[in-house]
Amino acid sequence: MTHHDDKRELWIGWWTLVVFYNLYGLLFFVIARTQPPPSPSLDAAAIAEWFDARRYGLLYGYAIVSIVGGATAIMNAMLACSIRRMSVSRAFAYSYLVIYALATLPGMLIMGVACTVGAMRPDRDPALLHWLYDFAFLSFEGTMGVFLIGSLVWMAAVLLDRNGVFPKWFGYLNLCNALTEVVVAPAWIFKRGVFAWDGAIAWWINMAVFVTYTTVFLTLLRRMIEREDFGTGPLPALATGRARELAGTPGAVR
Amino acid sequence: MTTATKGEARRVVPGQPDMWAFVLFEGLVFTSYFAVYVVRRTLSHDLFLQSQAHLDLRVGVFNTLVLLVSSWSVARSVQAAREGAYRRALAHLWTTMLFGLVFLVSKVHEWAGAIAEGFGFTADEFFSFYYFLTGIHFLHLLIGFVFLGVAARELASPARRSQELVETCATYWHTIDFLWVLIFALLYVMR
Repeated sequence: MTHHDDKRELWIGWWTLVVFYNLYGLLFFVIARTQPPPSPSLDAAAIAEWFDARRYGLLYGYAIVSIVGGATAIMNAMLACSIRRMSVSRAFAYSYLVIYALATLPGMLIMGVACTVGAMRPDRDPALLHWLYDFAFLSFEGTMGVFLIGSLVWMAAVLLDRNGVFPKWFGYLNLCNALTEVVVAPAWIFKRGVFAWDGAIAWWINMAVFVTYTTVFLTLLRRMIEREDFGTGPLPALATGRARELAGTPGAVR
Repeated sequence: MTTATKGEARRVVPGQPDMWAFVLFEGLVFTSYFAVYVVRRTLSHDLFLQSQAHLDLRVGVFNTLVLLVSSWSVARSVQAAREGAYRRALAHLWTTMLFGLVFLVSKVHEWAGAIAEGFGFTADEFFSFYYFLTGIHFLHLLIGFVFLGVAARELASPARRSQELVETCATYWHTIDFLWVLIFALLYVMR
């Protein structure tokens, strides 16, 4: 980065991140209503009812997902930018970019297409709907490996960094997030109980950690942009008083 | 480990405070796993008791003692490093690794025995929790070897020797020991 005092691009990226995550939550939890996930133990008739009950939500919801899914590129670029700002090899940022670009497929698009295919023809054979249902939710669960490795890459970068881009505790928080991704793995084996894909351990606790992790990294990215001086050395430290002032005035970031 | 001594009055905790954030957060995550276990156990009390009877309490006690010794050893290593006795500190660290390794081998042996008797991951709900809790702890312990490796690297070279980093790594090791004690109490002892 060679130009100075111009944070607009970074702020556009950061706001894209914030809008994307909120939209993602709205589409999956409220409109399509595929999260929290339903039980993997439902029979074919119950699954046909499940598709029928949220038919338009799935169709409209995933139509919007397919339109905005590309925003993940800006989001990933933002995160890779933070790693590039660190005193570590570029390989970390490249690995992060590649692996999160991959996450878009199972975590959003494949699941969206499978649910849409199920919803668009209500008269489809329930056995086929059953197949699409399993395919959709297993695809969603399939992002666990991506988030596992992605978190470990970010962890290593933060802990090795000497520029102080992020605090070290965020590196350790990445480790916590990575370890809760491992906990999702039993969802491939169990159809009911706490380890199934809708279970207390495989979904609820994992989601609580993920939401905390996401909120933390959005806040830390915001602080990084506030301090950014576009030089190549360590980031300027944010004065405690200034940090308090900025934390108390959301408008200050614009 | 003791907290701040004379010359370190400003330090609130041993090692990086960042690691303590990890301890707190990971403690919360494990507490939630334990809460789910206790609820499920209460709902299927008889089944959990029946299955628990297949675990060998002596093996659980042995594993706990092994990890407690490893924790004591890493504390001795930190103390030696504080005194500038780096060779001794390194020797204690190797002892920690050795006991950590004994725990891993013992755990794999225990799993293999249970599986051979027909009690696999999907045998029943108790055994699902047993493999889950001991498995996720096992993973934490494997990561612990990376932390011990970092501490050994610090102690080995006069050019490095960051006391803070050594204490940070020791804090991680104590945490997994602490988590094991809770897992042991829940899986092997609680009736």
